[in-house]
Amino acid sequence: MFDLRRTDIARDEFERLTMQHIDPLYSAALRLTKNDRDAEDLVQDTFLRAYRFFDKFERGTNIKAWLFKILTNTFINRYRRSVKERNIVEGSERDAVHERFISREASEYAANPEQFFFDRLLSDDVLRAVDALPIDFRMVVILADLQEFSYKEIAEILDIPVGTVMSRLFRGRRLLQKALARYAVISGVLRGPDESAAVDLDAYRRRRGKLA
Amino acid sequence: MSVDPTEATTAMDCAELERSLEAYLDGELAGPEQAEASDHLARCEACRSSADRQSRVRSALRAHLKAVLGPGTDAGRAPEALRERIHAVLAKERRSPWRRLLSPVPIAAVAACAAGVLVVLATHQGTDPLVDEAVAKHTRDLPLEVTAASVGPEALAGWFAGKLDFNAAPPRFHADDVRLVGARLSHIQDHPAAYVRYESPRGHMGLFILDDPQRRYGDVGRPMQAGPATVRLINARGYNVAVWRRNEIVYSLVSDLDERDLARLVEAAQAGDR
Repeated sequence: MFDLRRTDIARDEFERLTMQHIDPLYSAALRLTKNDRDAEDLVQDTFLRAYRFFDKFERGTNIKAWLFKILTNTFINRYRRSVKERNIVEGSERDAVHERFISREASEYAANPEQFFFDRLLSDDVLRAVDALPIDFRMVVILADLQEFSYKEIAEILDIPVGTVMSRLFRGRRLLQKALARYAVISGVLRGPDESAAVDLDAYRRRRGKLA
Repeated sequence: MSVDPTEATTAMDCAELERSLEAYLDGELAGPEQAEASDHLARCEACRSSADRQSRVRSALRAHLKAVLGPGTDAGRAPEALRERIHAVLAKERRSPWRRLLSPVPIAAVAACAAGVLVVLATHQGTDPLVDEAVAKHTRDLPLEVTAASVGPEALAGWFAGKLDFNAAPPRFHADDVRLVGARLSHIQDHPAAYVRYESPRGHMGLFILDDPQRRYGDVGRPMQAGPATVRLINARGYNVAVWRRNEIVYSLVSDLDERDLARLVEAAQAGDR
């Protein structure tokens, strides 16, 4: 039957275009749902929805971004039961602008970001740090720093203004760096504060000597 | 006298650079801004070293994320069984091609017509602000001003009284599993609207209710034939939206329910209101 054949062709085209993105979609789904089963369901729902709405997809535009948009929409609407988490995020986002300039912590990190150059972080720690991010920040960081979407694409995917993408990304990255630094200290990868002071002592003396 | 076009723009200072550094490092600055930032970095050693540091931190962060979540990692690879399952599910979708042809709501349409409700199918993207803006607002998931948990579902229905100059009493959906969650004031194209959020095991819904005596809204799609009520189901940006009217009040129900569930629900609400 003609129609049946046409459906076959559409499905082949759909799978050809979309299945190559299943790994990044699954990776993101796993970080959003934090468990295998929900992640698999979320990805399956995403593909099913995408297939149903495939005629709405504009050929030639970024299909990976389109799939991520469906994934995040599906997640927000179906899998995210807790409203609580979002409220917290909205509060912190409001504060982020101020924090950027006045927080003592933020300026400490700005003063000494070298401490984030750890190369022996445990992968479990990285996972934990990502999962500990409030969900809206987690999404933006994953989309920007793992999937390398542009600000504009992320704004489109999450249906938020570019300015919001920037502030969430800024803050999400800071939170992530902070968490990673903490884990790094715990697992002894980084020097503790005393040790680092000792290392710098010679340089300090030299500077003092010059001044004196 | 020749005029250098760059003279018109003032040079970027350290504070400005700091504000745009993140975007600069992400390669997100537009042409002139990008040039100004590069200019400043070339001139200012302090900013340059801070930019270098940030850029190294960025690379380290990205490398860590890729190493743990990227291609080829355990957390970055979809299980084979999932691929197969999706393939099978898509193939099953194929088995009822007539559903495709009559999409989006063949079964619901048949059921709804039988019940005396005419469902108009608008298969194109919604061009009505009642659809587009409602979807945009609903997805933004703004905090509710009043919740059923705090005041009780009955009081919530009356919460809008005095806040809006029309009767925004939400319809009853006559479905046991549809739960009223809460409400807030909203607006569509600067016209005040009531927004009511519902939840059911099949998905979330946001209902916008607004006064429309001029009949500005809801005329998307084909001309309608009048039944006891005319409901339009529109698919917009992945959401199924039902739009209907009762005299001067229009309703726009944004949902992630599938078409059939949505049509059934709205149909039941119409029947109950009659």
